[in-house]
Amino acid sequence: MGSASWLTGGLILLPACAGVLCYFLSAARWRNALILLTSLLLIALSMLVFMRGGLEYTPRSGIWHVLVTWADAVLLAAFFFYGWKRRNVLVMALVLLQAAALGYVKVVSGEEAQPLFVADWLTITMLLIVGIIGSVVVVYSIPYMRAHEEHLQLTRSKQPRFFLLLLLFLGAMNGLLLANSLPWLFFFWEVTTLCCFLLIAHDDTEPAWESAYRALWMNLIGGAGLAVAMVLFYHQAHTLSVREIVEGHSSSVAMLLPLVFLCLAGFTKSAQMPFHGWLLGAMVAPTPVSALLHSSTMVKAGAYLILRFAPALRDTYPSYLIALIGGFTFVMAAMLAISQQNAKRVLAYSTVSNLGLIVACAGLNTPMALSAGVMLIIFHAISKGLLFMAVGVIEEGIHSRDIERMEGLFAKMPFTTTVTVIGIASMLLPPFGVLIAKWAAIESSVKLPVATVMFVIGSTFTVMFWTKWVGKLLSVSPGNPPVRMERLHPLYLGTLGLLAAGATAFSLMVAEVLNRLVVPAVTRYYGSAGFATDMPVASEVGWFPVLMLFLVLVLAFLLPLLFIRIRRADVAPPYLCGEQVEEVPDVRFRSAGDSIEEVVAGGHYFEYFFGEARHNRWVNAVAVLLLILMFGVAVL
Amino acid sequence: MIEWQIPLAILATIMLAPLVGGLLVGIDRKLSARMQGRMGPPIIQPFYDLIKLFSKDALVSTKMQLVSVYVYLTSVVLSLVMLVLGQDLLVLLFVLALGSVSIILGAFSVRSPYSQLGAYRELLLLLSYEPLLALFVVGVYLATDSFMVRDIFSLEQPLLLTLPLFGLTQILVLAMKMNKSPFDISASHHAHQELVRGVLTEFSGPYLGIIELTHWYELVLLLGLTVLLWATNVWVGMALAIVSYLAVIVLDSITARMTWRWTLQVGWGIGIPLAVINLMTMYLVRP
Repeated sequence: MGSASWLTGGLILLPACAGVLCYFLSAARWRNALILLTSLLLIALSMLVFMRGGLEYTPRSGIWHVLVTWADAVLLAAFFFYGWKRRNVLVMALVLLQAAALGYVKVVSGEEAQPLFVADWLTITMLLIVGIIGSVVVVYSIPYMRAHEEHLQLTRSKQPRFFLLLLLFLGAMNGLLLANSLPWLFFFWEVTTLCCFLLIAHDDTEPAWESAYRALWMNLIGGAGLAVAMVLFYHQAHTLSVREIVEGHSSSVAMLLPLVFLCLAGFTKSAQMPFHGWLLGAMVAPTPVSALLHSSTMVKAGAYLILRFAPALRDTYPSYLIALIGGFTFVMAAMLAISQQNAKRVLAYSTVSNLGLIVACAGLNTPMALSAGVMLIIFHAISKGLLFMAVGVIEEGIHSRDIERMEGLFAKMPFTTTVTVIGIASMLLPPFGVLIAKWAAIESSVKLPVATVMFVIGSTFTVMFWTKWVGKLLSVSPGNPPVRMERLHPLYLGTLGLLAAGATAFSLMVAEVLNRLVVPAVTRYYGSAGFATDMPVASEVGWFPVLMLFLVLVLAFLLPLLFIRIRRADVAPPYLCGEQVEEVPDVRFRSAGDSIEEVVAGGHYFEYFFGEARHNRWVNAVAVLLLILMFGVAVL
Repeated sequence: MIEWQIPLAILATIMLAPLVGGLLVGIDRKLSARMQGRMGPPIIQPFYDLIKLFSKDALVSTKMQLVSVYVYLTSVVLSLVMLVLGQDLLVLLFVLALGSVSIILGAFSVRSPYSQLGAYRELLLLLSYEPLLALFVVGVYLATDSFMVRDIFSLEQPLLLTLPLFGLTQILVLAMKMNKSPFDISASHHAHQELVRGVLTEFSGPYLGIIELTHWYELVLLLGLTVLLWATNVWVGMALAIVSYLAVIVLDSITARMTWRWTLQVGWGIGIPLAVINLMTMYLVRP
């Protein structure tokens, strides 16, 4: 078991220690080298766990329990301090509640769960996401933060602190995934909350602190949910072992209430309505933070928690309500995204929406739905990480995140635009992975038609907001001079290129992803994964011919793109009622009084139909109602 | 279907569908003309038009336009082939949606106010009919316990008896997808009331020809989906498809274009409720 201890220790402590080292390394070159090295090691470690096929480990020394208990106390004190600093009564009350619940659990429960750390295939899948995508984002931060600080004209670099938090975040994520004991899971959970809070506030402006505090109190509600769940679990079942809870007591009604509290924790972290506000606010942070929060860490922790405990909720009413809450979030976030003009906000709503779909899959609680949920986690992480990073680069290039300003961006930043379009296509179009997962989700949702209707309508909204954005990016004037590749930092090129290639390659190899990761993860608890094994990507009720679609559609796209040449004489100016000015390459026309005007084609965002002003209030009310209902059916 | 028949079926679909689609459009034009008291063109006029379009210069504004046209054609043909081969309806729908997205992006790719406005309107149209198509697929699943088209043919009683209201929503979808009045907000099929043709403004010559050809395939595909409603006897199914086609032509002739808000309201206020009521009934009476 030697290697299990090394792997566990490495996954959790290596990023944390490297982070602390970063904090004291003020020489940028050494710090960057350390960050690169840590990232590579993290990727290697997660791959090792993958090749090992799981691990179980309990540290022999009891000192760790004492350390974690002390660290818990320090954490809660820190939260209380931040609450006190702003006289935020809610934060302070939530911290006190957590402290009471945690103290009670620590006192009454004697020994910790055995084994303390477990990795099954669900854990391994998540570890790979955190390890690989998290590391890519961290590497991307190196050039980004330098440019960011130059832009802000800081006299004293805040990068040491930034990378400390970023790496600590990854370590805490790994700990959260590996922990088999609820108090330990709680500890890592709270560390991610703290890292998230401090990272959102990183730029130290008033809006940043405001968003950070919103993220804090919302996530502390989740933390309180987790703490209360621990107390209840201990009372009902005298166990705090995640594995025992998931496997052992699935049929008992008394376990429903703590499970629902756990799900509440999952909802806050994965930004389900009505808790989605913090994720929208979180975009005030530097872009790598958003990329990290949205793709591999934080929100995925919430989704992971719900997927993890879903087997214990099989065939119960709360499970159906989880499906409804997720489905509702999926539809409404996709609808609100249509009305957004800020690229990062569109991405944020899209994340909320996709997390809704994942949560809904967990709530549907059939083998195939769970498989769809796990697939979504994987593919969404790749695509969304890519998209946030791309928007960060675009923002550096055009100093704006307004979609209207991105019109014809292809002419200015062809590489970045191409990867952005690949990222969006991989979220939206067949035969990319997210859509395959969505197909699986819809096919598995039919036993709950309300969810199906939600999935279908939400998918249409999704098509709408993405297509509008891509349309803006691709809109160019005819006869422009040939585009030239923009100059980008090599680390930008590498990270963006890697994720864009990954989004495509993993979609192509979706059968492999399914068989190696998803099927073992789901079969462990459900006996099957809902997919036929003899044919690639076939469910019991349908078939997604991935390779065939890939071949035909990619050829249909690439052949004309590469082999049809447009002669200069065949380039026509757009139709402008015969008033266009022919000589200039731009699109201009003769207006009243023979003045020459540039054509402006503004975008539509349908604020009146889909805007926040019209919908926010009732959407939040319905979401709260659904939450109350979930608790209601758990109690009754 | 036996192995060696599959390539034949694919080939036959690709060859025959445009013939059928072109003729159907010819009939449409003749009937519409007669309803307006005109002689109307010969029934094979659409073929003449197509040949004419293909003989013109290939002018485009941007390369994306040209790519989008080919992707549009490919995805519609692909979804028709999937229908003929009895494949997964949901995947078929995704591929079809890819075609719509592609042509919209082609319209977006030119900085032309007319074309872009048309693209936004096409998106709104998509928002109106796409849920109806997807809910139809869900209805088919509830009736057959499968998403595969081929399983519909092993049913004992026709689908329409369990999915009556979807007969109506399919007519709505057909009218919206074929750009018929009163839903012709993005571009009118027979260019009823327009000087500039919305989403199609910037396409011309052979590329417009390919779009026209794709429309024929799409028409056959949509009518094919309606045939599924009476798959126990394909002739009855075809009669059903022709009736809904005639209904759309009459609707086109007696109405004028309405606003996009109205279209959205019809899709969401009438179409979706019809579909949901049907689904709910099926769910309740299901054993």
